[in-house]
Amino acid sequence: MLWKPLHLVPAGTKFDFLGKRRFALIASTAVNIISLLAVFFIGLNFGIDFKGGIAIQVRAKEGPANLDNLRSVVGGLGVGEVSLQEFGDPTTALIRIQRQDGGPQCVAGAQRIMQARAGEGWQVKPGAAETGDVEFTAPRPLDGANWRDAVSRVGLTILDRQLPRGNTQTAKVEMPPEQRAEWCQQVAIKLVEDAIEAKYDLRGTESVGPKIGDELMHGGILAALATMAAIVIYVWVRYEWQFGVGALIAMLHDLISTLGIFVLFQLDFSLTALAAVLTIAGYSINDKVVIFDRVRENMRRYKKMGLIELLNFSINEALARTLMTSVTVFVAVLSLVLFAGPVLYSFSVAMLWGIVVGTYSSIWIACAGLVYMNLRPEQFRNEDEKAEKAKA
Amino acid sequence: MLNLPRWQTIGIITVTVLAVLFALPNLLPSSVLDHMPGWYAQSRMNLGLDLRGGAHFLLEADLRSLMTERLTNLSDSVRSELRKQQVAFKDVNVEGGRNVVITLRDEAQRSKALEAIRAVDPTIAISGSGDLIRLAYSDQEVTKKKKEVIDQSIEILRRRVDETGTIEPTIVRQGDERILLQVPGIKDTTDLKRKINQTAKLTFHLVNEDVAATGQNIPASLPATTSLVPTREGMQELRRTNPKAWEDIQSANPRMTPEQICRRFQPQCLPVLKRVVVGGEDLDDSKATFEQQQGGRPIISFTFNSAGGRSFCNATRTNIGKRLAIQLDGEIISAPVVQSAICGGSGIITGSFTTQQTQEQALLLRSGALPATLSIIQESTVGADLGADAIRSGTTAALVGTAMVALFMFIAYGPLFGGFANLAMLVNLLLVIAGMSILGASLTLPGIAGLVLTVGMSVDSNVLIYERVREEKALGRSAFSSIATGYERAMSAIIDANLTALIAGVLLFGFGSGPIRGFATALTLGLLTHLFTATVFTRMLLSTWVRWRRPTEIVI
Repeated sequence: MLWKPLHLVPAGTKFDFLGKRRFALIASTAVNIISLLAVFFIGLNFGIDFKGGIAIQVRAKEGPANLDNLRSVVGGLGVGEVSLQEFGDPTTALIRIQRQDGGPQCVAGAQRIMQARAGEGWQVKPGAAETGDVEFTAPRPLDGANWRDAVSRVGLTILDRQLPRGNTQTAKVEMPPEQRAEWCQQVAIKLVEDAIEAKYDLRGTESVGPKIGDELMHGGILAALATMAAIVIYVWVRYEWQFGVGALIAMLHDLISTLGIFVLFQLDFSLTALAAVLTIAGYSINDKVVIFDRVRENMRRYKKMGLIELLNFSINEALARTLMTSVTVFVAVLSLVLFAGPVLYSFSVAMLWGIVVGTYSSIWIACAGLVYMNLRPEQFRNEDEKAEKAKA
Repeated sequence: MLNLPRWQTIGIITVTVLAVLFALPNLLPSSVLDHMPGWYAQSRMNLGLDLRGGAHFLLEADLRSLMTERLTNLSDSVRSELRKQQVAFKDVNVEGGRNVVITLRDEAQRSKALEAIRAVDPTIAISGSGDLIRLAYSDQEVTKKKKEVIDQSIEILRRRVDETGTIEPTIVRQGDERILLQVPGIKDTTDLKRKINQTAKLTFHLVNEDVAATGQNIPASLPATTSLVPTREGMQELRRTNPKAWEDIQSANPRMTPEQICRRFQPQCLPVLKRVVVGGEDLDDSKATFEQQQGGRPIISFTFNSAGGRSFCNATRTNIGKRLAIQLDGEIISAPVVQSAICGGSGIITGSFTTQQTQEQALLLRSGALPATLSIIQESTVGADLGADAIRSGTTAALVGTAMVALFMFIAYGPLFGGFANLAMLVNLLLVIAGMSILGASLTLPGIAGLVLTVGMSVDSNVLIYERVREEKALGRSAFSSIATGYERAMSAIIDANLTALIAGVLLFGFGSGPIRGFATALTLGLLTHLFTATVFTRMLLSTWVRWRRPTEIVI
């Protein structure tokens, strides 16, 4: 044998986990309350997937990205709230722009784009109030093909019946206000492109319009609820109610504190982050299930043992596995945090926390919960007797 | 207990070998793949746009205003038909984007009015009583029309996006009124976005046969009523022989007129009368079909609305023997000879076409019909270098993660049992990669994260088994017995643990979109294949080893 296997937990370890349960309970409650307060009062830093908005990744053509300069240039475009951050390395910056509401500023922006991209002299004005209509005035008479071509440069389609008639050079593109808000996302992107093109390369653009933002938010909430419901049903069917409640409280504990981490580090709460949270839910239950399997087995085997003693005994038995699995998943996720780049950073950090807290809560929340819920070995004894009688 | 029947062992080995074969094209360097047959080298996982670079747009068609427009057309047709049938009416109005409401002067004329309406559109649903007639498209009809419009928009997009020579765009319908457009590897999306907003423009013109009779392609002077328009074949020829000219035409601002193109680059052109006989917005439908008699040649049939039908009737009646040029976006897509007066709104185009040609022509005709405007409601553009960065960082993370996990297993369970666990983990990873290749799933950056997570979690079952074996061994069982019992006792925990994680994975797949789906696919597949490696593959390794070495003592 080349080397001796390492026993992470020496055989026969008898650590009194549940003796510390009051301390753990106070600490966990405090962390969860703080997390909840933080989520409600500071708020999650929602990514554009949910909030709607624009994120543009740019890289300076020369030297490091000048964030202050970028902030003032993009901030002056009339596209609303703008935030900037370095992204991955000093030459790269991420520009975030708030979701566009389709106000008059956007139409003014569209005029600048038309003048830059379709030619001098174009005028763009909002149409009648309560509609999202936009009026274009050409600098000179144009035929239909050139009208279509010009208007397409600002991201709109002009239909034949909307083309100017008679002597006017003004055409109206009709749309409802909601559609104008969607279009204004594109206007904002084009404004940024035109403003910074000279000094920066555009590496990637994400834009989520108001409509999709709302849909993704609903979908996300639905996914989270469905996942939790499915897990509840699974545990409920599979175990005695005390186990189910214990596992659920522990899972909620893990999820709430993960949300707390998102607020604390102001991590981007995006779709990927939600995926992380739901994966944590699955992983958290997974860890509890393994320990519960042990507890059940031991309850049948050691019918005379007291509950706390039995739980401690089971946790110690399963400890090596719990720790080993946590460690392997931990190192795998750690490599994601370290190497997978800025896009997956929020996701990986949340996962990392989820693994640590999930391991903790298996012992001090899920198992300790069993103590408070008065799970008694007698229950099993009675059930077993019934089963034997039935057999006989 | 541990032993497997021979056929199962053979099955396991077959699956493993297949997994390796299917996964290999994804893992080998391109220098090696170049020496392999193409079909094998190319059977790899698709890379998602976030890794490959490219553009993703979710487009929404404005069907509401389109329906209003169609109803307006309908009300025009109804109005003129009522006049023709001498039905007196007070009013014909479009109401609320769903109905056309007709108010008659005389209730007694109701049945005559209804007849006239059926003549315009036999499918329309009619309600109301007395002097009031309410017309609406049935829900079925609306759904059908919506579907047609989206299909049509997809065709217009396909034509326009392919025109730029970009590679394999994906254009698919999403739900009722959305279209997903993905163009991998595109660098500049400015042009692409413009194309989304340009509608196709279809018009019918008579050919000026007097000018054409001179036989000159580009006559030096033309009557004021006539202009030159390049033919589609002519433009395609130009693009092949003179790509530079093609680019100049595409990028010109303001756009070049068809006549300017003809004069400057001299592709094959036709002199057509400027007056528009009828426009594409009056064309209701166009299909590729077959002639009833004469051996069923492939033909193109088309139908106009009443206004279009009338203009078409007038124009064809007086111009039999002349050609009628069909112009789409400044190119003549065909110029059939008028054989007879085409009245009644529908006609056919015959010629020596192949089925493929008629289908293409019918499609081109359709794409000029009333378009739905498209808005970009979601965009994601990833530059190629950003994608390359993502691949690099994703690969590093995956390799380091896998190596760390493997190292840990070696340290914890020794070279032998650690080796078994790592072999199972590796096979699991290969199975996932093979599975994704076979399913044609896309690998995204979150997908890579899913793979890494799978690696971390897939050694879990070996951990469960080994820890049990250690316990059984500590209880004083023999080597063989502790492995067998350990394996057996760990099984229920393994299945339970995987099921809960599977629940999360499957739901994520169901609700997630885009990159998340990539994550969920990798994770779910990983858990499923893991059930294979954990239950049967590991068992095979252990039983083979036990039978071969017959150990009296194990070091674990």
